[in-house]
Amino acid sequence: METGNIDAIVLRVNELRTYFFTRRGVIKAVDGVSFELRRGECLCLVGESGCGKTVTALSILRLFDSPPGRIVGGTVCYNSTDLTTCSPQQLRRIRGKEIALILQEAQSALNPVLTIGDQIIEQMRLHLPMDTNEARAKAVRLLREMGIPSAEDVLGYYPHQLSGGMKQRVLVAISLSCDPRVLIADEPTTAVDVTIKAQILDMFRELKEKRQMSIIFITHDLGVVAEIGDRAVIMYGGKDVETAPIPDIINFPKHPYTMGLLECLPDVAKEVERLNSIPGMPPDPSYLPSGCAFHPRCPRALDICPRQEPPLVQLSKEHKVRCHLYG
Amino acid sequence: MRKSWLRDYIIKRLLYSIVIAWGILTITFILVRVGPSSPADKYLANLAAKGHDPAQVIAAIEARYGLDKPILQQYGEYMLNLLQGNWGWSLSTSMPVMELIKRHWIYSFQLILLSSLFAAVLGILIGIYSAVRQYTKTDYAFTFLSFIGISIPNFWLGVMLILIFSVKLGIFKTYYDTTLPLFSLANLKALVLPVITLGTGMLAAYVRYTRSAMLENLRKPFVVTARAKGLPEHVVIGKHVFRNALLPLVTIIMFDLGSIVFGGAYLTEIVFGIPGLGQVSFNAIFANDYPVVVAITLIGTLVVLLVNLTTDIIYTYLDPRIRYD
Amino acid sequence: MTETPKAIAKDRAPLSGGGLRLIGYYWRRLTRNRLAVFGLAFIIFLALVAIIGPFFTPDPTEVDFEAKNLPPVGFTITHSTYDIKTDQFITTRVSGNWKHPLGTDRKGRDMLAMIVSGARVSLQVGLLATGIAIIIGTIIGVMSAYLGGWVDNALMRFTDVMMTFPFFLLLVLIVFIFGPSLAFIVLAIGLTGWTGTARMVRSESLSLRTREFVMAAKALGAGDGWVVFRHLIPNVISLIIVIATLSIPGVILAEAALSFIGLGDPTVPSWGIILEEGQHSLTTAWWVAVEPGIMLFLTVLAFNFLGDGLRDAFDPKSSV
Repeated sequence: METGNIDAIVLRVNELRTYFFTRRGVIKAVDGVSFELRRGECLCLVGESGCGKTVTALSILRLFDSPPGRIVGGTVCYNSTDLTTCSPQQLRRIRGKEIALILQEAQSALNPVLTIGDQIIEQMRLHLPMDTNEARAKAVRLLREMGIPSAEDVLGYYPHQLSGGMKQRVLVAISLSCDPRVLIADEPTTAVDVTIKAQILDMFRELKEKRQMSIIFITHDLGVVAEIGDRAVIMYGGKDVETAPIPDIINFPKHPYTMGLLECLPDVAKEVERLNSIPGMPPDPSYLPSGCAFHPRCPRALDICPRQEPPLVQLSKEHKVRCHLYG
Repeated sequence: MRKSWLRDYIIKRLLYSIVIAWGILTITFILVRVGPSSPADKYLANLAAKGHDPAQVIAAIEARYGLDKPILQQYGEYMLNLLQGNWGWSLSTSMPVMELIKRHWIYSFQLILLSSLFAAVLGILIGIYSAVRQYTKTDYAFTFLSFIGISIPNFWLGVMLILIFSVKLGIFKTYYDTTLPLFSLANLKALVLPVITLGTGMLAAYVRYTRSAMLENLRKPFVVTARAKGLPEHVVIGKHVFRNALLPLVTIIMFDLGSIVFGGAYLTEIVFGIPGLGQVSFNAIFANDYPVVVAITLIGTLVVLLVNLTTDIIYTYLDPRIRYD
Repeated sequence: MTETPKAIAKDRAPLSGGGLRLIGYYWRRLTRNRLAVFGLAFIIFLALVAIIGPFFTPDPTEVDFEAKNLPPVGFTITHSTYDIKTDQFITTRVSGNWKHPLGTDRKGRDMLAMIVSGARVSLQVGLLATGIAIIIGTIIGVMSAYLGGWVDNALMRFTDVMMTFPFFLLLVLIVFIFGPSLAFIVLAIGLTGWTGTARMVRSESLSLRTREFVMAAKALGAGDGWVVFRHLIPNVISLIIVIATLSIPGVILAEAALSFIGLGDPTVPSWGIILEEGQHSLTTAWWVAVEPGIMLFLTVLAFNFLGDGLRDAFDPKSSV
């Protein structure tokens, strides 16, 4: 058992900026995001589509399309290595082995012409000192752990032969195959039925508890956040606008956007005529509003909001906000 | 369960190919019979010069070729003959057409094989490189060159190569030397210019198709997954992306190159004097040797049919989505 | 997001602003592609040469006895002729001159005149034969897609058979059987080159057939013919334009290849015939082989650039 602080920080992202330089202009997909991932915790990155959460996840492992995209600032610190500047060889040793990523759509995240077994085993053969048989055995064990019946047979299947839920589990199995310390999951419950969603959440809970994994869980669903998260980072317009432990986010949200998100959640107990929603649409990352990106939709916007970007305010040890209302 | 499905599929395709083959033979027959000049007329022109009576000659020829029988009977006999391997008699060379084909097919075969290999290997490699390095100067250069490659008339290219390398520089002979043993280095050297001639167009096509098939797949999510596993880039491109790009590539190649390569080979043989089937057909045309011209057209077509069938079967091995449905 | 067929239908263009604007939109997209613009410019230049050229050049069959095997302007070549009187080889240096800017062939015919006439032949054959092939292909494709059932089956089997024939071999066979007159050559090329068009038009029509606006039209009581002409065909037009532009080079090359091997129309000065002669004069008059080839090459290149540009302008992601 490892001695040490349970609050030990496993991954630290500091003022990360990832821009995409396209023919039509610069897209500031991630524009100054900072957070820490602690050991054994589930940190949720929350936001609507276009807010930069997926690009943030990809940036940690430098997996975005590199001709248009580039990390223009900030650091990603893992194990005293800065992932934004380390060599490709170092990065490859970390990918899959230390930090694993599960992509958003299980449908297309698997290679259609290779068997499941091939796709699990190739990673193990790469990072771990095993031969094919050992790798196969471990793969079978993993699939069973994920709740996939007849795991042996599944190794020989192709992705199109599996259901959506099974594919999702296979992806998780692949990501776990080399026992990484960090798992980044991009919207694993989004394109899935409610029942499967519950199973997947259970699976992640187990991972956190049994394996002490540190998880970055990306979602736009606050309900999921409440169920499984320890802390949350709310993202908007490429920045982190509020960061706090889950109970604080839900009960004492500070940023107007967070409040708006919470109000949108329908309350099963209440009977209402209309559901709440935040007016307007999430901004297009290539045309961000001036000053605070949320000001056009913010019910509490001040005069200063369109003119100046809000400062980062540390409200308490665990709670920080970017908003003019507090600073 | 899977094996029997595959067998059924192959049988289905085989039967279909037979139907197509029947269609090919029938259309050829119709073309020949519908033609304004029957074999008799053409042969007539030759014989009239030697002082024979036209009417008698016509009657004799018609009897000899069975042209006086009803058309359906002719058709039946035509089909039977073809199936039995009796493809007619070549008047200009005085031997059975089949024999003529047997003597000359190897020259066409070696030319087409070498050109295809050259074009495929080089083309696919360049195509992959070009796709991976999209938007770089090298990519633009290769794309431009491939435009040029598919636009150069291949018979002109052959003549130009002869002009530069044989006439002006004297590196190669101007005409193919038929006395060389097939598996010799000298033969290989003699084939360099012809292979470049025939291969350039195909090369350019391979580059374009490979590049486009690769680009289709390079940005797909499973590629990101592969990289996220920490796999080295050459494995990601070579194993993951290329295996997927191979699918549309194989289909396109089957459709395009199957027929085009024969036209190109025909012309290349004529330019370089290679005694393959194209050259044989060419000679036959000017000797008015009907059966040979028809036979060689048929052979080319049937080979294409065979290639299509084979590619079809190969495709089912490559795409698991078809196999396991 | 699709443009309604009304906007695309060219027959509407003069009357409805929508049609004209659409053409303008596609034109702007096309002209962004520099290669396509070069292609278009060259084709226009070639057309002008073909149409006006013959008025400014001598008759291609006219023979200039004194100037045989004359190199083009700016080149000099040595001729060795055997003089019977002195029993020696007399070598003379001959230079090109402006009377025959592109030189002459071994019979003394002016190369420029022949090239110009060849341009005319190539363009005529290119346009006519492609036209025939496109028309046949479109009719078969649309009929097949629209009528479906056994008609579709039969037509597609037939198309499969015709597609299996290597294009050039079939062409040679037909010209061999029916005779090498220009008219037949054009017809033959048209009758053998429609298969690709048929396939593509059919697949495009099939996908259109189930689209909402077709069903809407039928729900309103439109007859089959009406739907085909007013709705299906206009949408297929952009596809056909691209296919046509990309088919013309193949046709031009096919005619040139036929002439090259001697199956062309002997009364017509095609580039292919000139090239064939050039191949036999490589040592004495290399320009006779180079000039028609360059013209062929540039023409084909121009159409390929233009066709590619058109395809990108109409739909950058198309798999045609």
